Amino acid sequence: MSGQMSQESDNEYSDDHIEDDEDEYDNYYYDNNDDLDLDKPKKSDDPEYFEFDLLKVEDVERLLNEEVEALCTSLKITPSLAKMLLHAHGWQRSLIIERHQRDPEKFLVDSRIVADKKNISQDNIMGLTHTCPICVQQLSKDEFQALSCQHLFCNECWDMHFNIQINQGLTTGIECMGKDCKLLVPEDFICGILKDTSMREKYFKFSFTDLIKSHSQLRFCPGPNCSIVVQAKEPKAKRVECNMCKSTFCFRCGIDYHAPTDCDTIKKWLMKCADDSETANYISANTKDCPKCHVCIEKNGGCNHMQCSKCKSDFCWMCLGEWKTHGSEYYECSRFKENPNIANESVHVQAREALKKYLFYYERWENHAKSLTLEEQTFKNISTRIQEKVMNNEGTWIAWQYLLKAADLLKKCRYSLQYTYPYAYYLDRGGRKELFEYQQAQLEAEVENLSWKVERAEISDTGELENLMDIAEKRRLTLLKDFLEV
Amino acid sequence: MAATRRLQKELHDLRKSEFRFFQDIKVDDTNILNWQGLIVPDRPPYNKGAFKIEINFPAEYPFKPPKVTFKTKIYHPNIDEKGQVCLPIISTENWKPATKTDQVLQSLVALVNDPEPEHPLRGDLAEEYTKDRKKFMKNAEDFTKKFGEKRPSD
Repeated sequence: MSGQMSQESDNEYSDDHIEDDEDEYDNYYYDNNDDLDLDKPKKSDDPEYFEFDLLKVEDVERLLNEEVEALCTSLKITPSLAKMLLHAHGWQRSLIIERHQRDPEKFLVDSRIVADKKNISQDNIMGLTHTCPICVQQLSKDEFQALSCQHLFCNECWDMHFNIQINQGLTTGIECMGKDCKLLVPEDFICGILKDTSMREKYFKFSFTDLIKSHSQLRFCPGPNCSIVVQAKEPKAKRVECNMCKSTFCFRCGIDYHAPTDCDTIKKWLMKCADDSETANYISANTKDCPKCHVCIEKNGGCNHMQCSKCKSDFCWMCLGEWKTHGSEYYECSRFKENPNIANESVHVQAREALKKYLFYYERWENHAKSLTLEEQTFKNISTRIQEKVMNNEGTWIAWQYLLKAADLLKKCRYSLQYTYPYAYYLDRGGRKELFEYQQAQLEAEVENLSWKVERAEISDTGELENLMDIAEKRRLTLLKDFLEV
Repeated sequence: MAATRRLQKELHDLRKSEFRFFQDIKVDDTNILNWQGLIVPDRPPYNKGAFKIEINFPAEYPFKPPKVTFKTKIYHPNIDEKGQVCLPIISTENWKPATKTDQVLQSLVALVNDPEPEHPLRGDLAEEYTKDRKKFMKNAEDFTKKFGEKRPSD
């Protein structure tokens, strides 16, 4: 395991820790605050637990070479062929060996490495010279080469073909030039012909990327200009964090982590949101009117529990309903009420109902996303507040840190909450959906409780806030445990 | 230059073979990368006229595929109003340097004679073609008579 970087990086308490206060809290999934999370769930009960390694390019090269060599020894083939087989079959070595043993010839034909007997060209060189069908030049027979399909072309045309294919980004997928010939060109054949060394370098660079993409246990970090490769024994839709560029993403699909929603659903949802963005645009406004005194209110924090500064009424930003009902078992703001007679309605009404349903979920999804960005502001406010409090001798700086931890946990919970909405949108009606919505409502209520408290907490509230944090995180984990399928 | 030598040979062979479905080949002496010619379909509803096409070969030909465009308006599910045609044999993914222009033309004429409504460029025409073949044939024939080029006498 030498050379692999540990995911538990120990730079949290490095020298630049003080100056980097804000950056540090950018990451709401911070792993290392064990001192706080005394009752953090054990590996076995944490539904988000995931084992992975972050590899540098050299480590990946070594890893791939080892796999190639292992296959070479088992099947007694060249590294070039082994690479092609591994690439074509997702690096499943045991499957390759098994299929090769069953029928080596058919396996190599199916893998487009050896030509099928009926596709072999009869175009043999008779005399000392031959005409290349590509450039129609008559050349000495030593100038010609072919793959097992016997499609003969001159070296200059092969070279040109490889140059153009590589410049178009193709490497492992380069095929023979023969009409309708699907045979793949092996690496050693290409390198034997490519004259230009810079082209050869380009080939290796692109094919390396191709090989990694075909490997189910590896994924490039999607961070800009980041060269880290993540390795996970089990390719699951779990959260990965790169310790170089700090990107966080889903290991299976490479986009933003999306539990409890699965990879296909989140893709469908994001596409739907992009398509329907115009329809949804009107709701993205940042202001709403107070339901009681109708004064215009701008949302300036993450918390959805609003209090009108004018009439002091408490209401929910999402549904504009009274907040009182939100704190109880009756919390229903997150639940979409479907029209039970929808099947009997006209197409027009059904379409409207479908749009209403989508907007209901979109509005909540978008709202939590926005709240998450607003929590950034909350962080700054908290830091300033702590400064003031410490100056006024209300508690020490150390004692106030609990508040930042609470805000950190709040972000983590709100993030999961945001991703419950696409899940609920695509969930079929029934008992499971009811259970999901019940748990979602419970989590939402706790998140808002926590959010409200974080924005207002005093030093004497440590106990209460820690209690709230504990409840919120438990609700989050319960939901993920019951619904996160990987 | 590989493109010139190869195109000269292809043009020579094509003219010698006297294809019925592709006639009146015109190539600019100063630019062999641009060809024009007349597609002469033999099946209804397009056999009431002929269609002028242009073939543009890239400088990297035959390592990159040629482009074909219709210069005469045609009522066809796979050819759009701008004369663009979706022909798999000359798509970048499928292109093979060994493919010759006469094979491209054969594939083009086959597509003109037998539209493929499964992957249309004009959805409206593809729908008409599958749902109301009679109406489609009538419209396409009228369109061919109105906009088509004169067929060269056989």
